Amino acid sequence: MGERQIPALHVKRVEYPGAIKALIGQLKRMPGIGPRSAERIALWLVLSRDAKPREIAEAIGESARITPCSKCGFFAEEALCEICRDDSRSPELLCIVEQPTDILPLERTGMFRGLYHSLGGRISPLDHIGPENLRIDALLNRVKTEAPEEIILALGGDVEGEATANYLAELLEQHPVALTRIAQGLPAGAGLESADELTLSRALSGRTKMKMPKFG
Amino acid sequence: MLEKLKLRNFRCFEALDAEFASTNVIRGPNAQGKTSLLEAICVLLRLQSPRVSSLAAAIRHEQKGFVLDGLFDARHMQFYLGAARRKLALDSVEQKSASEYLKIGRAVYFSNRDVEIVRGPADLRRKFLDFAAFQVDSAYRSQLRSYEKALRSRNLLLKEPRPNRRQIAAFDGPLVAAGDYITAARTRLIAALQPFAEEAHKDITRSAETLSLAHRRGGGADFRRTLEAATGEDLRLRQTTAGPHRDDLHLLLNGRSPEIASEGQQRTIALALRLAVCALLAEHAGRPPLLLIDDVFGELDFERRNALLKRLPAGSQKFITATDIAWMAPGEARLFHLAAGRLAALTKPPG
Repeated sequence: MGERQIPALHVKRVEYPGAIKALIGQLKRMPGIGPRSAERIALWLVLSRDAKPREIAEAIGESARITPCSKCGFFAEEALCEICRDDSRSPELLCIVEQPTDILPLERTGMFRGLYHSLGGRISPLDHIGPENLRIDALLNRVKTEAPEEIILALGGDVEGEATANYLAELLEQHPVALTRIAQGLPAGAGLESADELTLSRALSGRTKMKMPKFG
Repeated sequence: MLEKLKLRNFRCFEALDAEFASTNVIRGPNAQGKTSLLEAICVLLRLQSPRVSSLAAAIRHEQKGFVLDGLFDARHMQFYLGAARRKLALDSVEQKSASEYLKIGRAVYFSNRDVEIVRGPADLRRKFLDFAAFQVDSAYRSQLRSYEKALRSRNLLLKEPRPNRRQIAAFDGPLVAAGDYITAARTRLIAALQPFAEEAHKDITRSAETLSLAHRRGGGADFRRTLEAATGEDLRLRQTTAGPHRDDLHLLLNGRSPEIASEGQQRTIALALRLAVCALLAEHAGRPPLLLIDDVFGELDFERRNALLKRLPAGSQKFITATDIAWMAPGEARLFHLAAGRLAALTKPPG
């Protein structure tokens, strides 16, 4: 009752200038960024002294040069990626992964000095992804021309990962190459009591030999 | 024991807060939410509804999501389900996986439609088995999910205009691995239920009739071989014809199929099956499961009613719904009245 009536204003509503609106519009397209976050980032870029928008723009411009490596599918700034250009690596070992992002965790182990091949996904009929959508022909070409001694399958342990591994195993049947897959089992540093039954049963069936019985 | 329960936007309940006793009787006219209340308790403990396969259906009309919040054996259990995401918390710590959460509470749901387990289609018997298996085997859930995923993938490939045999065969591995696990787990479960079911049945009927349970394996004695042998048939019918998705729980009364048994006999068998699960869970977890008994007593005659009451595991917490409670002996139970989505306690908790 006591509220003051605000008269209706018939003037144009003021919005951000076009450049800020355009910036917000572009930021909103990024994964995990909604309209509110986009607005906050745009204002920070415009207002903050530490923002360095030119440097950010330059970095984004540079990132457009990244293309998949023509050989393995990893991120590359030239036709070939850093891994495929490295002469010191052993071409006798070829490790197959689903995504190019799977390569980095394997690299960080420092245990693998061979080459990689990223399939760009896995066979998943439920997502309408068949072998023809993956880099499988490229893989077969590499197997022929590079003639690796061993192919290591480092695919996911779920239904689609297993099916893709089976599919590749069958395809590579006639090729003179050894085929292995990474072990599945207990996480490092964990006791048996913290593992679920499935992990334990896989660890059991994938057990490794420590000693052979002595005879005589 | 479930001491406290809070519901938000679950089916007909906008907001409900209740404190429960060891035996709780919920009275009220039909279609006022009695079944939904028992369903909510079941979902809180097991993240699964005994009524529907998709929990999204339980979100109250035009709401974003439901919240179930309960205090069970001094553990604070919270479950939120929205259209886009779900959240689980135990003692206010968010849970990434459901495995810890599901270890806390076990429940058996008695419904007045349980007779369908005996005379209905096989998928109702598989659901009955699965719901029990989830509670005794923590790996069963993920194995069943893997099996279903492999099965759906394989069936999609079989339905393509020109099925690719190599691709189909690639899914045989994961299908058989998960399928063998499911088959073995169901066989073990049925064998474990057998003595309990037989005993409960004898006890209710006070007869010499013997109830026996058998596992009919949809994948045959050797699933991989059956699958390989059925490849031609699968390609012709464009679906996977063998596997645990064709399993059945075979029930026999004195060696004969209960399809020809009377309505009353069929109800007794269904009751014996539920009681067998109660006994098995009690043995497995070292204490009896929580019992959700939905409108069952009205269906039973005096003798069966008493036999059931007597057979319920001692020390189990019970939630019993009924439209009429005149038959019930007064005493230890806490009485509630439920109407129009509101739950009113008629008696103080005993003690």
